[in-house]
Amino acid sequence: MLSCRDLEYKAGSFHLKGFSLELKQGDYCALLGPSGSGKTVILELIAGLRPLKKGAVIIDGTDCTLLPPQHRPVGILFQDYALFPHMSVYKNIAWPLEIRKMKTNEIKAAVVSLTSDLDIERLMDRMPGSLSGGEKQRVALARTLAAHPKVLLLDEPLSALDAPLREQSALLLKKVSQTGITILHVTHDQTEVSSLANRQINIGSIT
Amino acid sequence: MVFFIFALKRKMMFLRHNYTATRLVFLFLSGMLLLFIVAPLLGLFFSTSLPALFETIKDTQVQGSIALTLGVSALFTLLAGLFALPLAYIMARKEFPGKAFIQGLIDIPIVLPHSAAGIALLGFISRDSALGRLADIMGLNLVGSPFAIGVAMAFVSVPFLINAARDGFEAVPQRLEQAARSLGASPFRVFRQISLPLAKPSVITGLVLMFARGMSEFGAVVIVAYHPMTTPVLIFDRFNSFGLDYARPVAVLFIIICILVFMALRLLGRKKSKL
Repeated sequence: MLSCRDLEYKAGSFHLKGFSLELKQGDYCALLGPSGSGKTVILELIAGLRPLKKGAVIIDGTDCTLLPPQHRPVGILFQDYALFPHMSVYKNIAWPLEIRKMKTNEIKAAVVSLTSDLDIERLMDRMPGSLSGGEKQRVALARTLAAHPKVLLLDEPLSALDAPLREQSALLLKKVSQTGITILHVTHDQTEVSSLANRQINIGSIT
Repeated sequence: MVFFIFALKRKMMFLRHNYTATRLVFLFLSGMLLLFIVAPLLGLFFSTSLPALFETIKDTQVQGSIALTLGVSALFTLLAGLFALPLAYIMARKEFPGKAFIQGLIDIPIVLPHSAAGIALLGFISRDSALGRLADIMGLNLVGSPFAIGVAMAFVSVPFLINAARDGFEAVPQRLEQAARSLGASPFRVFRQISLPLAKPSVITGLVLMFARGMSEFGAVVIVAYHPMTTPVLIFDRFNSFGLDYARPVAVLFIIICILVFMALRLLGRKKSKL
């Protein structure tokens, strides 16, 4: 499903070289490494947010190496959630569907279904600035899933949450992974993904 | 009596602790500067009689010049916005060789003497220039036209819009734009629906500043178009031809209109930002 072949990227003193990865559909893979090791950069390279110097990104049999981010079947959940502060929760989740020119009633149905799955229906009219960390994460996840990505990239999704919320979010991610989506989860904390991931990769050594 | 002296001493100590010499000097200097701004304006208002002001309001030449000044400045501010916003966005987001040079170029009109800017623009639109010849073929004379006024206004004021908008775009987290791209949006949609709305307060400030700077422009405008007269040129013309008393009511009226327009624009901007 997701194949990264010999990725190379250079920016200033940072140099990523020869990173490869093969994930099958439904895999939940943890990408482990200390801060500054380039985990987030790898996600951004897969999502097309940074230009590769060398290598190839193949998703579901399609070479996406030269595709712009908007044409890649990839969803990325950023560490800081990156919710659009000028849009309500409803509008945030509906936005990727509006881009795809879906009809208003279909968008509404999709948003209702997603928010109900993630237990955030009550937040629909709220603005992102008024949400807690856990609520923001659920909204960001709903927005990412709304675009129906084939691969979900998670950038330290649990690190900013308190202990009880972490557990809830981990359960949520487990639920999402059971839908068959391929997940690449970046973290520096191995315990965070022990119950979630069926594969683990340490930057530099693939297991 | 003893209590009174004690209370006085307490008061003196309080004053000594809270109003240090530095604070008093700062207050004095700030007050002097504010007085420097307000005093000439108040002097202008108090030395203008109400009948003279009403007479000026009814003056069709004054009415025409105010309409021309506001209209041309507004139109050219909006036109310049079409070009200035993409440039401001590039300056905020991209790193490229020569960027500092381009920024210097943008700021040139701010440091240039405005009469010199007027001379430069006159060469650009006169009948000897390519643009002037093209207009001549179509039977138009750009010099002394509202177009020339607009060009002069835009030239000296567009840096205010570009710089304010650039600051606004810089303040929008790039993460949001990246998230929008990965959700399926084209770069133009990201600009239109994410970057621009989030930078809107700065963009509105830039538009207001450009409009304000443009409508108050005299030096460059008077060189490219003495006629039709914008209000700053009319004030100068009346002062030059008939003296201070004749120019003063026009100046007062124009200042009042400027203040009202800016208050309205600010309120509108604030209301739109809240939506």
